Amino acid sequence: MARFIIEETPSMMEDYRVTRYNHVTDEVVKKLVSICGEQYVTTSEPLRHSYMARGIMGLEAVLPEVIVRPADAEEVSQILVVANEHLIPVTPAAGGLSGGFALPAIEPGGIYMDMTRMNRLTVDTENRVMVVEPGVKSGDAWRIFKVKYPEWAPPIPDGAPPAATVLGDAIERGFSLVTGVYGPQADMIMGLEVVLPTGEIFRTGSWALEGAKPYYRWGPGPNPDGLFLGSQGSMGIITKAAIKIVPHPHHKTVVAYGGQNWDDIIKPAWQVSKHELGIAENTVMVQGGNWPLVMTRWPKTNVPTDYEFYKKIGISEYWMNYEIWAWSDEELEYVKKKIDEIYKWYEEEAGTKCPQWKLHPKQVASRLKKPNKIAIPYSLWQAGFLFITWYVPWLESPAVMDEYCAKMEEYGFPPTMWVASIDHARQAIVMPIVCFDSTEPGIYDKIREFNLETTRSFLKKGWLNYRPDPFVHAPETFSRTPEYYNMLVKFRKVLDPNLILHPGRLAIPWEAVTDLPNPIGNGN
Amino acid sequence: MTSLEDLRKINARCIHCRACQYAYSGEPDRQGETEEYTGMLQGCPAGIYFGWEGYFNSGKQWMARAWLNGEIEPSQELLEVVEACTTCGMCETQCPNYIETVHVTEELRAAIIEAGVEPLPRHKVIGERVKDEKLRNPYNEAREERTAWFEGPADRFDAKVAYFVGCTGAYRQQHIAKRTASILKKLGIDFTVLSQEVCCGSPILRTGQKEIFREVMEKNLELFKDFDMLVFSCAGCYKTFRNDYPRISGKPLPFKVRHTVELVYDLIQEGKLTINKEYAKKVTWHDPCHSVRHVGLAIEKEILAKSDNWLMDSRKAEKAKEEHFEIPRVVLRNIPGLELHEMYRIKGDSFCCGAGGGVKTQFPDMALATAKERLREAASTGAEILMTSCPFCVTNFNDAVKALQEEQSTTGEKKPGADLKVVELLEVLDELIE
Repeated sequence: MARFIIEETPSMMEDYRVTRYNHVTDEVVKKLVSICGEQYVTTSEPLRHSYMARGIMGLEAVLPEVIVRPADAEEVSQILVVANEHLIPVTPAAGGLSGGFALPAIEPGGIYMDMTRMNRLTVDTENRVMVVEPGVKSGDAWRIFKVKYPEWAPPIPDGAPPAATVLGDAIERGFSLVTGVYGPQADMIMGLEVVLPTGEIFRTGSWALEGAKPYYRWGPGPNPDGLFLGSQGSMGIITKAAIKIVPHPHHKTVVAYGGQNWDDIIKPAWQVSKHELGIAENTVMVQGGNWPLVMTRWPKTNVPTDYEFYKKIGISEYWMNYEIWAWSDEELEYVKKKIDEIYKWYEEEAGTKCPQWKLHPKQVASRLKKPNKIAIPYSLWQAGFLFITWYVPWLESPAVMDEYCAKMEEYGFPPTMWVASIDHARQAIVMPIVCFDSTEPGIYDKIREFNLETTRSFLKKGWLNYRPDPFVHAPETFSRTPEYYNMLVKFRKVLDPNLILHPGRLAIPWEAVTDLPNPIGNGN
Repeated sequence: MTSLEDLRKINARCIHCRACQYAYSGEPDRQGETEEYTGMLQGCPAGIYFGWEGYFNSGKQWMARAWLNGEIEPSQELLEVVEACTTCGMCETQCPNYIETVHVTEELRAAIIEAGVEPLPRHKVIGERVKDEKLRNPYNEAREERTAWFEGPADRFDAKVAYFVGCTGAYRQQHIAKRTASILKKLGIDFTVLSQEVCCGSPILRTGQKEIFREVMEKNLELFKDFDMLVFSCAGCYKTFRNDYPRISGKPLPFKVRHTVELVYDLIQEGKLTINKEYAKKVTWHDPCHSVRHVGLAIEKEILAKSDNWLMDSRKAEKAKEEHFEIPRVVLRNIPGLELHEMYRIKGDSFCCGAGGGVKTQFPDMALATAKERLREAASTGAEILMTSCPFCVTNFNDAVKALQEEQSTTGEKKPGADLKVVELLEVLDELIE
């Protein structure tokens, strides 16, 4: 297949190669203070270190040179203007729950924009939308809805800790408590307020019209939301997002079924979800995993490591949970009955056993709890973990998980795996949880090797990382998608001519994150 | 665990999830009585007061990691951030990775000081006083006056029980010491107090002055070693003996320890004590971090330390912790006429009074702001009495009530909490036990 020829490559590449950033100077700090006020700007070394993280989703992080805490989009805009004047990189972060991904990734660290002061939330139940600023935490949103709008639910990230922000999850195109039905969180967006790297502020969708509500996503012209959702702030800083809220029926339960292998949990779930209407609408969340998902939540030295123990306490080797929401107990029972019928049919078809897991009411209550801390304790196994997330066609997910588990064991990591349905099992989000000892010398290199090897293999099969690591997944992916990368570079150049915003997952500038040949470097 | 280096692997469990910033981080669905007090709430006094990430435990864990990795230099600036924490342990309750957050903070403070940074000015003063053979207390009082409050012969080494009075009881809240002694007498306990008792070292350990702490710890351990049991009226002394002495000395305590409220609880549970006198008041209870949360957490960790299967034993450990949190409530429920109106943030999720960890001494404004926040919560229950059992909580709350009353008279605006009466439970027990 002929590859796309990029005519203007030489001059563009020259621009990117020479991109060099300046350090934050006293003059810059003074300007930041004049924008945000003295109490919201600091160069304190201890306070700069306090924002660091290496783990969860990203392992690489660089110490920022100054922290600013803007109050609103106007201040964000003014900070970006200063950053442009002085050619200083800027990294915005909301809750910072993405670990290393929420920090500067390249030298020098530049300006770190802590967005937590911007924490307003408004709700419009008539148009079924809420507007959140970057600092609104899932737990806070949940509390406000519980008290004031109990018939509605904010689509907060499920499994992420309560301090994770709603907007952070949305711009990651992440996973929410209703992703199984509504699709990735980005699909819930009804409008954005964006501050461009050059300081201009604009809104998308119907919101672009002064005084209009965010009721219509596509707005007055072609919609640029997609450029900002998934760029993690590399194309512009999102200061408000209008997000759909969903009805919140209070008849809920969780049912779980075991299986002998990955197929046994993936195929019946496809049968439940594929028709989209009926019971598929009630099963708002479909997620599962394997037995190490239970084991690795405890210290390696203080928990049985043989499956026999887990078998004895009733944990299947593989299982799938279905969280069901309904308007009545009758409806709830109907959905449970239909799911059970599908499983019985599947067992016969596949000649296998998928026993229903008898969940204790406390287990059900615990699984229904939103938001929760379920994803945090994987650090207990040793001392650190990394979530790696892939989007794959639902029925291909068993192959991904088989390959991942084998590779994790080869590298000495426990094969901990989680999987969930996106949009009625159109896609699977597959997430190995790499549990490791962050104090072990050389461990980050080992993880990087593991990550590179699996990434190269998976990309060949057409599987995509949805939260690409800027140093591993992004360069590997864009090396295989030069045309797409070229398009991103063009947009980035238009929006951020000085490349002051951090490279995020876009690998722009390419040379800042990888030694691989630039896919658009030689024109083919 | 006696150094930050020993805690390296525990600190390395932190993924910076920030759950530790909240009370009820694991119970976002928790239903409160009011809109304000429902779901998960901010719970870190220093983080709320200063706002920057470094003042929350989540930030401190990463400052500790930077220290361990040699990425940050010792400095006064670093010490100031690390010392601005009440070490209340709210963060530790929240952490699903069982990180010993308070030990990490205390050991980081010690490591900075051991690296040559002077303790913060007011902390240094109390350290010097406790080190001084003629004082051995942070209040600059004469050592020979330590048992002056006690009516009766001190230094009876033939008694099986000793009452460890602590510096605050001995010099500043002698009425509490007297009340405690009176309770012990009424309960028929043959006890003594010792004139050679020295500061337990709590404020010294909390502020990172470990060398001085070790000195007083060893003196106390030697002095009290032949007693069967030590009883306490001070939550801080109790926690220091119960939790810190064995951890830092590396040896189990040679005696049993019990707070006086726990002693009363034991007798009620055994059916040996009934309170008949009435206390007909609306009361809300503030859990002292030292004697309630920290001891509860220690109970949980002691069970887990012996377990080779945390998956199975973690519930048992949590249950034991929760049972400890019930102790003051059982006592209060056994007081006829007392109407208990619980605050929203209680037990493991109790919001600190703001005085601990050396904060009242060095950061009085933060201590006061935190106490006012707690008074507001106490007032929301409709109680007339804010009851607790800790000398520092009592002092700090009284200071905050005064400050609120002054603000009220200056502005003419009603300040929730200004009308609350702060009461030490031991005083009430002494009045009620016959």
